Amino acid sequence: MNGSFSRTWGRLTESMLFLPTAALLLILIADFFLIPGFFSIQLKGGHLYGNLIDILVHGSPTMILAMGMTLVIATGGVDLSVGAIMAITSSVACVMINPTIVGMNLTDPQKFINDPQYTWAPLWAVIVVPMVIATLCGLWNGVLVAYGRIQPMVATLVLMIAGRGIAQLITNAIQIIIFNDTYAFIGNGYILLPFSLYVAVAVFIGAWLLTRRTSIGVFIESVGINYRSSFYSGINEKKIKLFAYGFCGFCAGIAGLIVTSNIRTSDANQIGMYTELDAILAVVIGGTLLGTGGRFSLMGSAIGALVLQTTITSMLSFGVPASAVIAVKALVVIAVVLLYAEQVKGFVRRLGSSSLRRETAQ
Amino acid sequence: MMMSRMLRIAAAIAVSGALAACSGSAASPSPKVYTYKDMTVGFIQTGSESGWRAANTSSFKETATADGINLKFYDSQNKIENQITAFNQYIQDPAVNVIILAAVGTTGYDDVLKAAKAANKVVVIEDRRIEADASLYYTYIGSDFDKEGNNGAAAMCTALKGMSGANVVEIGGDQAASAAIDRAKGFREGIANCTDESIKILDTQSAPAWDPVQGKAIMESDLKKYSGQIQGVYAHNDELAIAAIQAIDAAGLKAGTDVKVIGFDATADGFKYLISGEMFADIECNPLLAPQVYKAALDALNGVTGQAAWVPSQEGQFFASQGADALKAILATRKY
Repeated sequence: MNGSFSRTWGRLTESMLFLPTAALLLILIADFFLIPGFFSIQLKGGHLYGNLIDILVHGSPTMILAMGMTLVIATGGVDLSVGAIMAITSSVACVMINPTIVGMNLTDPQKFINDPQYTWAPLWAVIVVPMVIATLCGLWNGVLVAYGRIQPMVATLVLMIAGRGIAQLITNAIQIIIFNDTYAFIGNGYILLPFSLYVAVAVFIGAWLLTRRTSIGVFIESVGINYRSSFYSGINEKKIKLFAYGFCGFCAGIAGLIVTSNIRTSDANQIGMYTELDAILAVVIGGTLLGTGGRFSLMGSAIGALVLQTTITSMLSFGVPASAVIAVKALVVIAVVLLYAEQVKGFVRRLGSSSLRRETAQ
Repeated sequence: MMMSRMLRIAAAIAVSGALAACSGSAASPSPKVYTYKDMTVGFIQTGSESGWRAANTSSFKETATADGINLKFYDSQNKIENQITAFNQYIQDPAVNVIILAAVGTTGYDDVLKAAKAANKVVVIEDRRIEADASLYYTYIGSDFDKEGNNGAAAMCTALKGMSGANVVEIGGDQAASAAIDRAKGFREGIANCTDESIKILDTQSAPAWDPVQGKAIMESDLKKYSGQIQGVYAHNDELAIAAIQAIDAAGLKAGTDVKVIGFDATADGFKYLISGEMFADIECNPLLAPQVYKAALDALNGVTGQAAWVPSQEGQFFASQGADALKAILATRKY
């Protein structure tokens, strides 16, 4: 009996998902005691409404970013530019809906007010073109890292800094408000659950199938562990890296569309600000090793994103000022670093066996 | 380029023609009378952080082109040290005779202001208030944010008329900006004077860097914390007000009927929400300050004295109750 407990405990703590899930549960338990009504979910206007739903709405962009970031980090790299790519996509999408801001004259400027379905470019283009641009941005990073042999941190720093400037150039540094209701559905709409959550789940399933049902996942891990030996075993390490960064850019594009549609604004200054760090943090909480790469867990990263968002939403409903929430995030980072230290891991593992030893001694 | 040069020449001819007409009879040797085309302006802008700021910048650029003013523009990217560097550069530039500053912070400009005075440069402060001796610059032209806050409070009083003990949440702008500080202050003064109802501020939180993403998250958590208790939202600009409206919608409430939202700036986007009735009132903050500022600078060059230390800009306020058609007509005439 005790032996089987110890074995199960051992297996549980060995799992990559153990720590992120434990962290998520810990925060939720704290919320249960500290914030009355945190778990209340109501049906309002034909959809679910509550703090937990908010976590899913706001967590989904980070979740999507984390999918791409997981693959990049697994190859042993990092992508600092996803926030800037989000800003570029949101600017492109908004300009395509409402180009008056860049000096284009429309025949009927009042149309924006009178017609909630009006867009200048067709809606499919408003979604596809920014995504293509985002993927190209990702591929640019990939080319610099894989073919240019530039340190990932430096290579992606280029776009991180330049991207926001590009986004501002596109919109003339003006915040464009979106009035198109169909577009706003991406980030604001509900089919019982928030629509953005369905998008996040779709991206997750896509990434999972791509990496676990084809050999790409194994290739990515082997490139992360040792790119030279991968090369000698016939894996085209450069193409794998190019794929990972391209996919990361693609994910950033989706996240950018969701965020800009959620607040109905293209805000080149603020959209995606520090989200690259959120995504990296989510991946790290999920158990993928930053810097060395190798073994990765998409599920872990998704849970990691939820851990972050739950912390933020809890803090806001607890009454912590929005400007101080960043400081709380810092505490999360410290906690994560401590939890993943080998010493702490060993301690948790021993907990199971020591309780067994105590019981046999009695 | 060609067009703007032709405009400039046309303006110069018009101005000199007008001058010839006026001064034709005055034969006495008077000191040089400056016109706009003698003015070379060094304009130090805060940066390009909002729609308001973009309208402000283009006001200065367009007016300069139209009046034939030679404008040197500097975007200081919201850093005070950049502004000081640009200030020193303009002081040393012999062509520049007027320096216009939209200050990022409120303090730290004393030394450059003194240097500018010693170098005989005219300094006009626009938009943001600074803490410096008023003798160091010619005048300050900008919005009375405090009064805007008063107006916002008055609008809130009207919005919540007849409710006893109405509750309001406040979504503030960046804590460091004089606009946010004074709008919060003016609002509190204003609702204290509210005659027939007592308005209570349930909660007040600031969105760092006026970020609408944060503004929406603040509103969402407020709506849950004070479920069913919020009758009014006081947001420090249009972007934050619109973000709050999104959150109100998601909560199954109707902005305009269940919750009254008041915003600031009266940009075209804010107007659209006024027209749809989702925003109750929008208090104008006028970014088109260039004509007033250039006029003051010209006066300073011509030695006109007796100017006020602070010239508040002309501003209005708009209400959803004015009706969609009337508002649309106003919007069609507006430039931002």
